[in-house]
Amino acid sequence: MTNILTVKNLGKSFKSKRIIENISFEVRKGEIMAILGPNGAGKSTTIRNIMGIMYPDEGSIEFNGHPENTIPRQKIGYLPEERGLYKNVKVMDMILYLANLKDYPVKKARERALAYLAKFGLEGKDKVSVEELSKGMAQKVQFIASIIHEPDLLILDEPFSGLDPVSQETFKREIRELANNGTAILLSSHQMNVVEELCDRLFMIQRGKKVIYGTMEDVKNDYANFKCTIKGQNAPALLEMIPDVQRIEQNEDVTVLYLTQDVKIPTWIRQLPEELTIQELVIDRISLHEIFIDVATDQHQLQEGGVLNA
Amino acid sequence: MRNSLKVAKWEINRNMKNKSFIISLLSTPIIFLAFMFVPMLFNSFSADKNVNVYMHDELGVWDAVSEAVKNDEQLNWTLIQSQEDESIMLEGLPEMEQSVYIVLTEEGLAKGQMNMYMSDDMDKSFGNEVGILDELLRQVQIESIGLTDVQKATIAHRVVIVPVYAGETGAIESELKGTVLEAADPMKRIVPGVFAGIILFSIVMTGMMIFQSASQEKKEKVAEIILSSLTPTELMQGKIIGYFILGITQVFVWLVVAFPVVLWKFDFPIVEYLFVPETLLLLFIAFSGYLLFAAIFVGIGATVEDMTATSNFQGMVMMLPFLPLVFIGPILSDPSGMVAKVGSFIPITAPSILLFRLSVLEEWPWLEIIIALVILVVSIWIFMKLAGKIFKMGILMYGKNATPKEIWKWMWA
Repeated sequence: MTNILTVKNLGKSFKSKRIIENISFEVRKGEIMAILGPNGAGKSTTIRNIMGIMYPDEGSIEFNGHPENTIPRQKIGYLPEERGLYKNVKVMDMILYLANLKDYPVKKARERALAYLAKFGLEGKDKVSVEELSKGMAQKVQFIASIIHEPDLLILDEPFSGLDPVSQETFKREIRELANNGTAILLSSHQMNVVEELCDRLFMIQRGKKVIYGTMEDVKNDYANFKCTIKGQNAPALLEMIPDVQRIEQNEDVTVLYLTQDVKIPTWIRQLPEELTIQELVIDRISLHEIFIDVATDQHQLQEGGVLNA
Repeated sequence: MRNSLKVAKWEINRNMKNKSFIISLLSTPIIFLAFMFVPMLFNSFSADKNVNVYMHDELGVWDAVSEAVKNDEQLNWTLIQSQEDESIMLEGLPEMEQSVYIVLTEEGLAKGQMNMYMSDDMDKSFGNEVGILDELLRQVQIESIGLTDVQKATIAHRVVIVPVYAGETGAIESELKGTVLEAADPMKRIVPGVFAGIILFSIVMTGMMIFQSASQEKKEKVAEIILSSLTPTELMQGKIIGYFILGITQVFVWLVVAFPVVLWKFDFPIVEYLFVPETLLLLFIAFSGYLLFAAIFVGIGATVEDMTATSNFQGMVMMLPFLPLVFIGPILSDPSGMVAKVGSFIPITAPSILLFRLSVLEEWPWLEIIIALVILVVSIWIFMKLAGKIFKMGILMYGKNATPKEIWKWMWA
């Protein structure tokens, strides 16, 4: 797949503080790439550097078919984390202004805006003043404004925050559809379940540095081992006899066994001791949410068993 | 530049669709006209009242007075020659309305004092209207002492004291000429000056809206979305251009309303006064003033998110256009004095002080004007650069107003 955006060795400091360091990744045509990390990890700084709102101290940013470090703003859609709209203007005027700034034809923008407003359940709201919209409605208008000009690259910073589950589903469907139609999407979110469901690849950043980078499948295979959750009162000594267990967490009658990477689940199940008390047993992979917590809280316990695809 | 023009167009459209802007745009000239006409209306009410002027004339000036009153359209007198004795007239006067009794006697002429008795409802200011008799009585006075024609002419000719600085004695001739020619029509300077002053006032007032606009951009968190399509400099330029055009539109609307009224009411050749080369220079000064203040407002506006929590520092910045008022006293008393000269060289005060001085000075001090303009233009360039730096950093800082210390750091970053 064609790389739409290539970021190489990006670095940025504020005074003596290093905000991001040696950040490199690509976003490809038709894929959804997640950029993840705890608050203050450097995600928004990375995005602002890509958008040319800030200038990097080091490294390069290249857009497909454009000279290095030039930003084809009219080909990028951007929904920032800190977002808003002018309050005292009509919805359609707002969308058309942003389309105009992207050099997109007004007539076409109007048609697309009406279609998207209808798609997002905002039919007839085009002549309504922005200040009359609810927060969710305003967020939909912001989303429409970010894609109105058919961008090649769409950057979404926390697009789901503040949305109700129904609207979240609408957004997810639309984002997937855009990617299927060839738009390269860079998405930042703290909702790991959504990222896990939606994204093709991910780039995790902690304290301005890369910690994980790869496809969702690879990360899960390599990083997220199996874990077995057992409900039932069991003695620690008994649990320690179970093979291929990397780490045990016990909380009253719930025990979580973190398994080693190469474990074969059917074989492993057969090896469980007869004496084990099992009221419930669940085997699943460690979720992206748990990986995120592990990285963000600097525990790195999961890393001991997993292999970083770095 | 294309993007700046798009921003400018947006700002213009947004304000033109804003009800409060439209109301202020239309109501301002109406309020001005109301302020102008209401006192005139009251004046005309009182002026319309006819005054019965009874005149007891022992000096034989009746015909000359009648002629003078007839020729003066401002006077609304009914002149009545009175043969009555002074004491009889005084008895009846308190019962009369809008009446005065003027006694012109030989005795009064000798003493240099004539009495005018008024009915109770008369305004004291009527004394000014009677000033029309002064010159006539003076003529009678001169005639009465039996002078030759030459002596009469000498006495009638007033002596004028012309103020001239010691180093400019050569200018006496031109000063004298000036007082005769130029003083005859001071409007030639004042009208273009007032016109440029109105433009400066209007565009600076509109320019203050840039402050709100930049601050609103932060408060409503639109800045980052907008900056994904253009550079901070383009956004800043767009705002400055947009509000400049709004200011000019405002003046245009004012003029469209005011021009016909002035032409109709005052019979004043305003067009002739305005279309002179001097107007161009005065307009240049007004526009420069706008650019200077626009740079300050847009920069500082980008540092303020919450207008209600604006610090003293930002509040003081908003007061800067009014700084020349501090100097107004000394400048009024001496438009070529030290305070006026210094004020012309300080960028913040220069535009309004220059406009004021050039409106009242008969001879323009070209060297001072050129130095002041060079300082002003260089200052605009520096202020624009600094405003750009502040705007760039400030517009993306969310959650709080920037402190003066932070602003200072950004300026030199």
